[in-house]
Amino acid sequence: MVEYERNANNESPGGSLKICVVGVGGAGSNVIDRITVDRSLSATLVSLQTDVRVLNQSMAPKKVQLGAELMRGVGTGGDPDLGREAAIYSKDRIREMIEGHQMVFLSVGLGGGTGSGAAPVVAEIAKSLGALVVVFAAVPFSFEGRRRQQQANEALERLQKSSDALILFDNNRMGELVLGKEGIQKTFAQADTLIGHSVRAVSSMVAKPGLVKLGLADLIAALRVSDGRCLFGFGEAKGKDRGVEAMKRALKSPLISSGELLRNARNLLVHVVGGESLTLAEVDTVMKQLGRHVPDETQILFGVGVDSSLGESVTVTLISALSAEELASAKSAVADETSRVQPRSVVEPVAKLSAVVAADFAPPSDLFSDPVAAAPAHVEVVAAPVVKAAEPPPPPLPTPAPVVVMKEPEPEPAPEPTRVVPAPVVAQPEPPAPEPAPPPVVHQPAPAAPARGFSLASVISGNDGGLRSNSPRNEDNRYAPAPIVEPSPETAPVAIPAARTSVVSRAAETVQVQVKVPALEPEPVVAEEPSGADLFGNVTSSSTAVAEPAAAVARSATAEEQANLRLGGEDRGRFNGTDPSVVQGEDLDTPTWMRLRRRPGR
Amino acid sequence: MAKTTIYAGLEIGTHKICVVVGEAKRDGAIRILGVGQAPSRGVRKGEILDFDKVQTCLNDALVRAEDRSDVMIRNVFLGVSGAHIDSLNNRGCFRLPEDQNEITEDDVEEAKEIARGVAIPQQNVFLHSITRQFIVDGQDAVRQPIGREARTLEADYHIIHGVRGRIQNAIRCVREIPLEVEDVVFNPIAAAQVVLNREAKHQGSLMLDFGAGTVDYVLYEDGMVTATGCVPLGGDHITQDISQAFQIPNGRAERLKVDEGSCLYQDVPEGEMIRVEDDNGLSVGEVERAFLNEVMYLRTQEILEQVKSRVVEHLGKLAAGVYLTGGVSLMKGVDAVARDVFGLKVTKAGSAPVSGVTATFENPQYSAPIGLIRYAQILDSEKPFMSPFGRLARRMADLIS
Repeated sequence: MVEYERNANNESPGGSLKICVVGVGGAGSNVIDRITVDRSLSATLVSLQTDVRVLNQSMAPKKVQLGAELMRGVGTGGDPDLGREAAIYSKDRIREMIEGHQMVFLSVGLGGGTGSGAAPVVAEIAKSLGALVVVFAAVPFSFEGRRRQQQANEALERLQKSSDALILFDNNRMGELVLGKEGIQKTFAQADTLIGHSVRAVSSMVAKPGLVKLGLADLIAALRVSDGRCLFGFGEAKGKDRGVEAMKRALKSPLISSGELLRNARNLLVHVVGGESLTLAEVDTVMKQLGRHVPDETQILFGVGVDSSLGESVTVTLISALSAEELASAKSAVADETSRVQPRSVVEPVAKLSAVVAADFAPPSDLFSDPVAAAPAHVEVVAAPVVKAAEPPPPPLPTPAPVVVMKEPEPEPAPEPTRVVPAPVVAQPEPPAPEPAPPPVVHQPAPAAPARGFSLASVISGNDGGLRSNSPRNEDNRYAPAPIVEPSPETAPVAIPAARTSVVSRAAETVQVQVKVPALEPEPVVAEEPSGADLFGNVTSSSTAVAEPAAAVARSATAEEQANLRLGGEDRGRFNGTDPSVVQGEDLDTPTWMRLRRRPGR
Repeated sequence: MAKTTIYAGLEIGTHKICVVVGEAKRDGAIRILGVGQAPSRGVRKGEILDFDKVQTCLNDALVRAEDRSDVMIRNVFLGVSGAHIDSLNNRGCFRLPEDQNEITEDDVEEAKEIARGVAIPQQNVFLHSITRQFIVDGQDAVRQPIGREARTLEADYHIIHGVRGRIQNAIRCVREIPLEVEDVVFNPIAAAQVVLNREAKHQGSLMLDFGAGTVDYVLYEDGMVTATGCVPLGGDHITQDISQAFQIPNGRAERLKVDEGSCLYQDVPEGEMIRVEDDNGLSVGEVERAFLNEVMYLRTQEILEQVKSRVVEHLGKLAAGVYLTGGVSLMKGVDAVARDVFGLKVTKAGSAPVSGVTATFENPQYSAPIGLIRYAQILDSEKPFMSPFGRLARRMADLIS
């Protein structure tokens, strides 16, 4: 008889699962405070801070001052490098806190020094201890300026590598929608509560036993959007019509804006948990009610759980993700209530772009006529964990995106060349991809390569860091070896290379990320190509052919990106201090003639 | 002889703060006793940013108004504006009890209460609830339902609401002068009372109060207020566009706009230059007239397009066309641009004739403050004796006719 591993979703059996919630930096600690006060979660709560004054005010039961010797209790002043240094200094303390927990939730506000710098280190430490890492990150307000945005993006990239799931909260949305003009303190408190709720919901979803079980894989599937921002709704109700009430409350959640945004969601996770009195009829009405807000083509991941601690009440959790641009356009479309049907068509161009990218992915995975291999190719977004959850072989598959395609030119007959082309396109926008690729290739024959092998690999990549001049990622490769000194025999080596290359397949997103770095233009990307070709010998011809579409993709991404970024940090002259008059993404306070000049195409 | 009452209207505008003192007679005539105004500081887009500066300017305006009118001002009607003010139409349906056939005043109150029970954002507060019409057993446009036999009574309401904190801030600013605020009025509602006559309201018209900070609009259809609102763009934006296009200071740009500017750029010969002088009459540069006008045209057109986008579904029924008032309506060519944008007849209008300081009422800049006097008069004439609660409820009833 074949024994299946029951733990396929990477969860421990309920009850004994030990959860640790770590708040890093100011924003993260606030969430921890909130959870502490609410007592909504039975977990170890840890607050990590560089600034000793802030730390003293924290209500968390466990506190760690990061880099006490280095920083002397002063904050980082918004410098992520300092934050990282501090975390590396205190890595033993951090490990001490995390050790023994199977799940680590990391709550962090990105953009600042401690949050952006220390959080990736903490995530890596947690990962190396074999814990499941779920990151709840808040992206800075757009008014905080471009620099913080950029720091946040860099930190995100790192977090993506070392976390199993990444749930992003857009502060702009929180600020806008949580309580409108209510006092700022209340707004922040509300935002913290919301994140606290989501921590609780995710933990109960993954940890508690369910009738229709949802696992981490489902969570990741729901969040499977490039550059995704989390849509999260949570509702709890008791009494008559409790199911409907709970769903109503979940839909009312500001991040969903009364269900309007769900119209654009491609995947939606619904988790209904009730006490022992939960009936099927209730679940049925809840799902029918939801059906009105969700288009037919949306994939609904559905789960039901029974939690006796809930007593008479029922909770409904909705989780989905939209990409940042989609969210922006959907928002404007929602605001423009006259065109109810419009939103989809507004979003279409973006959707098309991602569809194109998705199509680009498909061929390479087709090449390996292995369905298992195909799956991970799609799951990359935040999907390191899936990779990790499955058996070792799949991870390397997404890894060699550039390599494998080069290796197997034979299976492609003449009609196929157009299909081959897209694959390198995907690889191209990601300059460092060709270089980091070799180490995993080395591992490939021996998938069970021990941690030492990995750290060796990272040392190698650290050594030739100088080679990769303009890649924003090389620094973290350089520092990566430090925190992962401790060899951990299980999955770490596999998961991390996979995560790194998952970046490759996130092509669309990566392109944008690069564009944000002013030094990087389409040219360097193209220039990188020949060198990659040299490495693998036989790709020169296709690479030049491919260069152009890649540049085109990059260019279109640039256009979009600029439209988004322009809002931040501009001097608004006479209208400083007033509410900006933004209509359809344009700030009408900037002179008309100036805006007309900026968009000659339109 | 008719009894007279003296009212003061106060408008804290983005460009100027203006206090108008008027005498309202019971027969409906208004006499302007005096106007005091001072340039405004610390106001942007119709909202107060800097309390201290505003209070200084307000004091200036008040002293001048008291001086001219020889009246001591204690109470004012305060006109407010700002992008936070929004409006909606709502209908309340009330079914008469089974044993009752005739509509009584209580039933009307009940229907109104239901109509006003609409959900507005939590932080918002009602500014006005204006009766548009009553519908008795499906019969439209009933003005006076009391005493009719019917089964159902519906009240159609236009509700204007704004953010509580911002409105209270404006009130607080005035109270600290100290002045008592008798009522808070949304500016265009007041202005419409003197700019639009009864006929214009019945034929359907759109009034735009094109001020420095905002464009406030009121749209009448069949004598009923159908849409009101505020677009946070105005003359300031035109000035700012000029100042950034020619790299000249704001004050200079404002002068250029008022003295030389126009929105008609097509007929201007190429290469015609305007000299820009500094305070001493020394030339500091030249600007091309065609370019200046084009900058102004682009912005004006955009602002009007923004207004249009908000009222576009009602534009079909406006026989009386568009009425332009407010400071920017003095700008050359703005009516032509408005005609292009709305495709309707456009009239530049100030306040309807009232007696008193004659130079004042014709100037469209003063439409709103004079309108405040008229508003106060209407408010007073309609309900002399009523409990405060009742007065509140009936405040705007039948006002708009």
